[in-house]
Amino acid sequence: MKQTPAMDEIQRQMQPGIITRDGFLGRDRRKLVDILDDDNAEVNRLGLTHEAIARRMRELRDAGRKGIGLATRVGQGFEVQVDSVRGKLPCPFGHAGLVQKINTTVKNLASGREITYTDLNIHMIGEHGFYEGRGSAFRLEPSHLKEILAIPESPPPPSPDMPQGLP
Amino acid sequence: MLTAFLISVGVMCAITAVLAVLMIVADATIANYGEVKIAVNDSREITVEGGRPLLSTLKDEQIFIPSACGGRGSCGLCKLKITEGAGEPLPTELPWLSPDEQRQKVRLSCQIKVKNNLRIEIPEELFNVKQYEAEVTAIRDLTYDIKEVRLKLLAPGEISYRAGQFIQFEVPAYELTSEPVYRAYSMSSDPARNGEIEMEIRYVPNGICTTYVHRHLKEGDKAIVNGPYGDFYLRETDRRIVFVAGGSGMAPIKSILHQMVNENNARSARYFFGARAARDLFLLDKMKEFEQQLPDFEFIPALSEPDPGDDWSGERGLITEVVARRVEGAADTEAYLCGSPLMIDACIEVLKEKGMPEELIYYDKFA
Repeated sequence: MKQTPAMDEIQRQMQPGIITRDGFLGRDRRKLVDILDDDNAEVNRLGLTHEAIARRMRELRDAGRKGIGLATRVGQGFEVQVDSVRGKLPCPFGHAGLVQKINTTVKNLASGREITYTDLNIHMIGEHGFYEGRGSAFRLEPSHLKEILAIPESPPPPSPDMPQGLP
Repeated sequence: MLTAFLISVGVMCAITAVLAVLMIVADATIANYGEVKIAVNDSREITVEGGRPLLSTLKDEQIFIPSACGGRGSCGLCKLKITEGAGEPLPTELPWLSPDEQRQKVRLSCQIKVKNNLRIEIPEELFNVKQYEAEVTAIRDLTYDIKEVRLKLLAPGEISYRAGQFIQFEVPAYELTSEPVYRAYSMSSDPARNGEIEMEIRYVPNGICTTYVHRHLKEGDKAIVNGPYGDFYLRETDRRIVFVAGGSGMAPIKSILHQMVNENNARSARYFFGARAARDLFLLDKMKEFEQQLPDFEFIPALSEPDPGDDWSGERGLITEVVARRVEGAADTEAYLCGSPLMIDACIEVLKEKGMPEELIYYDKFA
């Protein structure tokens, strides 16, 4: 797909020093459209959807809030800590409003692996399928999210020639 | 027809983007605003070179406005009044300014470029803020993720502050930042020992300052701080006191307890400290010392999820649950809270349910 001028402007917003000190792209030199395409393909390969990933991230964050800032067990499989720092950030894709700087750290107790994501990550994945560029401090690999957050594969979308609601 | 329309829109967007970039480049390289005068509190006038953000311009004049995001407009901390010369609030400021603040001409100093003469108002206490050169004299682990850092002040050699206030610590350029940045930390030290500053800094993954302190800073290093800032300090009343903290929120409360010892303060005080497990507790000996030095002080640590090996006979549960169990008749009590915003918000609700007037609840959020 060709990158539009509107996406050029979004990519400019993602550069260091515009919205955040380090930006959203890390050392990635690809066009934004290619970053989105590549991650979309990876998410499809994993049998997931961006919406399902964002939903799981949100569920664990909400469950972790009961620790009021301390790490807390969530179910049998996770330890979750939700914390926030001063400030709010706008979405680089131009959504209205600001997103509170809330960090969620999830530890998968079976594997011992953990991952940290922000509320802005949840928004950008769910709404835009954007996981940040390679080398960005907050880049989230879809495969890591699937493994650490134990996200089940999403059911395949209904075939276009099969009427909705039929088995 | 549709193709022609889309091409037209695309061309217009491209021209607009190119013009915007040209304006930014021209503003940064060609524009010369010359000397600009800034009237401060109608009592002082400074002459500065125009063209830079007001926040950094004032810093060069030794006027320090607190800021937690390094001037990116994402913390909303660097507010001051600009009564003349700044025009209308910018779109980047509006999310941070209430309608009342907009009426009072409050602005974000990091977003205002100094282009013409300005008239500004700054809280008087900020004139007590100074920049200090210091030397790191001690670093020790309080827990697996919190370090205590002690600084000896070199120039100026002494600082005057209220127990509970915070300073800004400068992180020099290193692998995580290409330019110096400032981060705010409460002082945990005894305010009577005015030649040194102590901070408690918890490691935050990817945190520019906390990574620097935990991985790079060492004893003997030079450091730059500025301060003091903040209105979190012990009010002079006879009311009973409830302190609540978690993690490095210990810092300002510890400083206030030093002050109470120094002043032979006999007020009744209960300090609820929330941690997850025993390995998250620290300074227990110091708290015992305070219990012996103060006539009516009790330190009440609570563990929310003790580890299996923890031999713990103290309070259990979230700190909000412990406060709810232990605090009664709070109408004549005041509270001082420091820690995670989630913890503070939850504690405020509990204390209000216990009858504590909201105006007697003072807090210092890590936010």
